[in-house]
Amino acid sequence: MTRIQQVLFEFDGQYLGHPYFVTGNALFNAVARRVDAETRRSLRVSHGVFVPGEYGEYPAGASQDGYAGKLGQSLPDVEVYEDLFVFRDAAQRWLLDSRPRDAHNVHDLQLHGGRVAFDDTCWFGRPAGQRNRRRSVSWYLHCYLHSRQGDGSVVPVDEDVLDGLQVGGARNYGFGEVSVVDTQIVDLDALDFSRLKAAQASGESCRIELVSPFVLESEHPSGDAQDVPWWWRVDTDELSPVSQGGLRRRATRLVDGDETYAVTTVDHGQVVQYAGDEPVETARNGVLRVGTHSRFGFGEFCVRPASEDRVSERRAAGAGGEV
Amino acid sequence: MVAVYRHDVHKARMRGHEHAEETFRGVRVNESVPFGADRDAALLSRPRGEPEQTVDAHESWFRVSLLTGQVASSVEPVSDIGGSLFKVVRIKDPAALHAAWLHATVPSLFSESPYYPYTSLKYHTLLVAALLDNYRAGVSFDELFLAVTPSDGDPAVVPHRTVVSTSGFALHVTSEPGDRPAARLGSGPARLFADVWARLPEVPFDVDGERRWRVLDAQLRRVRSWSVALQFIEEYSAALAPSPLDGAGPGGDGV
Repeated sequence: MTRIQQVLFEFDGQYLGHPYFVTGNALFNAVARRVDAETRRSLRVSHGVFVPGEYGEYPAGASQDGYAGKLGQSLPDVEVYEDLFVFRDAAQRWLLDSRPRDAHNVHDLQLHGGRVAFDDTCWFGRPAGQRNRRRSVSWYLHCYLHSRQGDGSVVPVDEDVLDGLQVGGARNYGFGEVSVVDTQIVDLDALDFSRLKAAQASGESCRIELVSPFVLESEHPSGDAQDVPWWWRVDTDELSPVSQGGLRRRATRLVDGDETYAVTTVDHGQVVQYAGDEPVETARNGVLRVGTHSRFGFGEFCVRPASEDRVSERRAAGAGGEV
Repeated sequence: MVAVYRHDVHKARMRGHEHAEETFRGVRVNESVPFGADRDAALLSRPRGEPEQTVDAHESWFRVSLLTGQVASSVEPVSDIGGSLFKVVRIKDPAALHAAWLHATVPSLFSESPYYPYTSLKYHTLLVAALLDNYRAGVSFDELFLAVTPSDGDPAVVPHRTVVSTSGFALHVTSEPGDRPAARLGSGPARLFADVWARLPEVPFDVDGERRWRVLDAQLRRVRSWSVALQFIEEYSAALAPSPLDGAGPGGDGV
């Protein structure tokens, strides 16, 4: 049994940290001081992805269908593999078209001493003076925890331990405080991987989408240099390349106590072809992450059949939309 | 190519297509755009089907800023909207007209539709022009790329294909990315800006060195509508381009 504990936090204050996500390292360090040594050794934490609490509908591929009410404020049931990624994509595809989805999904920015912080709430309403017409959208943080072996020895971590964590910069000033709103245990072995199994059976090619960066080089003592995995093929096919120019690499830093370590990564958000032949097994590994810094949240990815377009609008051929 | 920059002038005059006039101060406007370029560009920024109001109590052609939440009319009034509009409509040379639109303010005061007030008339028009110019060259949508001129490159403007130009960088929609880093738009027009942006092999500003550029990059991975995203790039670059105050060194987020 491979158990992961999904946790949904709500932001209680502004956030001044890594703008793409709250790294697993930041979350791990926030949790680590509150747990015993054994848990600390075994605990693995994913990156925390920002999620707006807004009305939505389940995306294509999710086990549930249709309108979902306010989707970002609780954890949807996880039955199929695709359910794991409903919230783990910055574009938050489940937001409703009938509302200003981009405005809901972009952080309100605040300036503090020249630094740009994310507000924990954004306000809507026109005209601005009319109080009754104003409404707010709060920001949430989605991450998951598991133990080193993936067994159930560490999770679930008690909600009291997780509640009130602080992440990001300016924590002494109250920034980056989060409180737990929802948590659930998911058994990876019980998930339905039927779409990937079908792709494997029919020999259909798959693609890998990087949810979090993959570490290539690191100064951190636990990290050796790694190559891009052999089972990633950066597409060089002239007919249908996803992009041209190779993989995007990024330099970042890993903070561990007083030490700071330079880290070179393959940046998240990119798509590569899957060159292996065990997509289901690879997908399972991708949830628990791969690479030397997987314990800090790096190396998470999602596997999809290549024919499956995550932008469902694109498939809907036909007219319309002209104004 | 001239007509494409004039086809939606009625929106800046706060009229729908059906009530639009055929001329504006003696210049022909409101002509239809061939090859379905207008429809495809609309699909890049707005949903298919019947439009519905997405922002309560905002039924206006004035754009709402994604950066500040302010309505354009109240933050950057152009004293003479008609006159400024005429300046970017009357130009006869297509390349000059494109250049004028790239740097124009007045069309960015308006949205593509009162139903979708975060969209931008300016960037819708530039996208229509880019699509039309590519379609005319015999290229279909699935052969198009979003190409970037990197921050250390020459942000050369390519007539009709450059869709954003700031002092530091430029973005282009083209079938001929050349050596520039580029990502495919995909098989058909849809609101997929975030998807294309996230796949770019290089972003055109220094995300490793400047946290403010990282914030912009992070926001752009969230925005799906093209004209909203391109307008956001313009506004963010103008308002929050990195200052020395923010320089926390390489990778300065301290993860």
